[in-house]
Amino acid sequence: MSEKSAMSGSISYQQALDAYLNKDDFPATELSIDESLLLEKFHPDHRQETITNLQVGPNKGDRCHKQVAKILQADSRIDATDLAGARIKETDILVIGGGGAGCAAALMAAESGAKVILATKLRLGDSNTVMAEGGIQASIEKGDTPQSHYDDTYKAGHKKGIKDLIKQLVMDGPETIRWLIQQGMQFDLNKYGDLLTRKAGGTSANRVVYFRDYTGLEMIRVLREAVANSSVDVWDYSPAVELLSNESGHCAGAIISSLHDCSFIQIKARSVIIATGGIGRVHLNQFPTSNHFGATGDGLVLAYRLGARLRDLDSFQYHPTGVAYPQHLTGTLITEGVRSSGAYMINALGERFVDELKPRDIVAAAIIRECEQGRGVVGNSADGNEGLQGVWLDTPGLEARNPGLLNQRFPKLVQLGLRSDIDITKTPMLVYPTLHYQNGGVVIDENGLSDIPGLYCVGEVSGGIHGRNRLMGNALLDIISFGRRAGLRAVKKSQNRGHKKISIDHISNLRRELTLNNMPMNTKSPLLFPDYARYEAIISCEKRGSSSHCGGCDI
Amino acid sequence: MSSDQTIINIDSIEKKSDSKQSKSDVTLTINAKEITAPATLSVIQALWHAGYPRVKGVGCLDGVCGSCRVMVRRADESELTMELGCQLLVEEGMSVFFSVFDTPSRHSYKLSEIDTSWDVQTEFHRIFPEAEQCRHCNGCNKACPKGIDVEGGVDLAVKGRFREAGEKFIDCVMCNLCMTGCPEYIDPNHVGLFSRRVTGYFHTRPSNLINQLEAIRTGELSVVTHAVDTQSSDLEEGQS
Repeated sequence: MSEKSAMSGSISYQQALDAYLNKDDFPATELSIDESLLLEKFHPDHRQETITNLQVGPNKGDRCHKQVAKILQADSRIDATDLAGARIKETDILVIGGGGAGCAAALMAAESGAKVILATKLRLGDSNTVMAEGGIQASIEKGDTPQSHYDDTYKAGHKKGIKDLIKQLVMDGPETIRWLIQQGMQFDLNKYGDLLTRKAGGTSANRVVYFRDYTGLEMIRVLREAVANSSVDVWDYSPAVELLSNESGHCAGAIISSLHDCSFIQIKARSVIIATGGIGRVHLNQFPTSNHFGATGDGLVLAYRLGARLRDLDSFQYHPTGVAYPQHLTGTLITEGVRSSGAYMINALGERFVDELKPRDIVAAAIIRECEQGRGVVGNSADGNEGLQGVWLDTPGLEARNPGLLNQRFPKLVQLGLRSDIDITKTPMLVYPTLHYQNGGVVIDENGLSDIPGLYCVGEVSGGIHGRNRLMGNALLDIISFGRRAGLRAVKKSQNRGHKKISIDHISNLRRELTLNNMPMNTKSPLLFPDYARYEAIISCEKRGSSSHCGGCDI
Repeated sequence: MSSDQTIINIDSIEKKSDSKQSKSDVTLTINAKEITAPATLSVIQALWHAGYPRVKGVGCLDGVCGSCRVMVRRADESELTMELGCQLLVEEGMSVFFSVFDTPSRHSYKLSEIDTSWDVQTEFHRIFPEAEQCRHCNGCNKACPKGIDVEGGVDLAVKGRFREAGEKFIDCVMCNLCMTGCPEYIDPNHVGLFSRRVTGYFHTRPSNLINQLEAIRTGELSVVTHAVDTQSSDLEEGQS
């Protein structure tokens, strides 16, 4: 990296800051860009050397990112013998995942009278939802329509989204906001009590509603409280490591590997709703990520092994404004809301270089282009490591044009600045794209049902809604809209279904296929945690499965 | 290319064995294990840097989930403070203890069981009877890693000023530390969240939202899915 910077003549932090501070006008760039060429040359999805074709499973032959392929085509964490010794618990609906989608699904299922277990890897609410900042899309402003929302979403996804899914997403928008308000969620309002809205990159109208830059935090604390006060049985520290199926091929539950005592538990369910989120902590292309610690693509693996088709496994979103510097915050998200409110992005020469409100893939590619072509700013970290490149996010300019706005609307960003020893009203933050979102995922229908009867997948783990690029604010809408639908549908469909004989035959099939294809069996998945958490050291503990609570082996 | 940006997350662990103590390194203890790590790392990053396993008590790594609450004593100080491990930079001589334990609320309620907004105050005292017993010991305020005026918020809720009370808790991440700091078992953060929720539930009635809901309900607004394909391909070519 540092050689590369030297070669391309990148500009030091101080030089660039001086260049920035000495200018008081930043006219829009007149550079016209060929967007498809920009993406092809600079978007990380287009690094062909990172793509492979899957060799086993329902997507055999399809394009897939190598790091994703590695966990999809890995060995299971369990054997038949593990199953034999496992405690058994029965329920109607099993929800796997405790973020926004899981909470919404669990609440709806429980309200419909079903017995619901929500099993989550960490604690209820530990998810990417809690970190969502910018807001949630719903066409509610006068003059805006679900049709415009549909058009914007479809176009931003490069026309690869599934039309019926998008239609349902946008039609659900206003009702989703109402439901959230009925759970007790607050939004930013004007003095007459109307919802405030702002634009997102790639939207044709002001359509994002929000609560400060804490939209996800507000959503999660409300939904968590609602779930905690419902009949839903919440199992924390209970990651699912395998699904169960019954003799007619329905999904019939899951196997939990408890973090409390490392034991296995079988949960038999009439339907399973996977809401495990994304995959950022796999650090695709060695990128930093804005994602939660637990975002390791577990649901993809579970569903794929049982035979569910996936899609767009070579398409990921890199959010343009991750923190590039200081080092301890690298990858942390700065909301797109800052650009929506009018903040510019400025390169080391003190020039704007892209329309800041283009869709995220375009803006991210443009930042990478600036840095690769020597117009990036090099942050000097304390240990002299000059590897942290980025461009300026012009918060001082935004503040100058809208005095007080930063403190009023972006308290989280102001705090982030303070933790970086930067007064963002005076000094810009250095930003660089951060791995943010899995665009693809499990193929679903309008109720979140996968190819496997009884298996629903909602939220980031699912694919097809956002095509190959998601708009800001559509993820929070997606998780609630589809989460609620799946919760209702799963109850309705499973009323007459009993608990049949369950099996994990799909694991033997997987092992056979892997062996036949000469695939290595040394990786076990789902990963559950990023490698630096050393989870494997914990589960290789000898006391595993013993009846006394060992409390896990965290230091 | 950006590949070096994740050095702190991944590569440093691999380098553990050959890393030499440099000038910017500090030595501290985390759960009584001595750890040497660069001063630019957070407590959690330092743990990873040292190669110690930990999966519980790590969460969003963004200061908003309250998972990584830690008890901290700084060198030469007797006072214990409560902080979030992902937000706290390591310091020389610091002692850090993870506080991973369950803190379930003792209070249970459903918004739908409060009939009208006139009943909120009565219901509040029924659900949170301890709140008016607050002895102003400042325990909750001292426990809060976000610097929230928790006690003031509880006071406002007791007086029925729920909207104002809720405003105090905007930054609250529900780490539950104030619950552990309260000798009256008030569950102050849940009081704050109750205050916020009743405000949304009873008083958010945006006309722009309601109008659109009505237009969708009557069928005035709907979506035609083929429309966009017939327009010129504008994202790829024309939008700039």
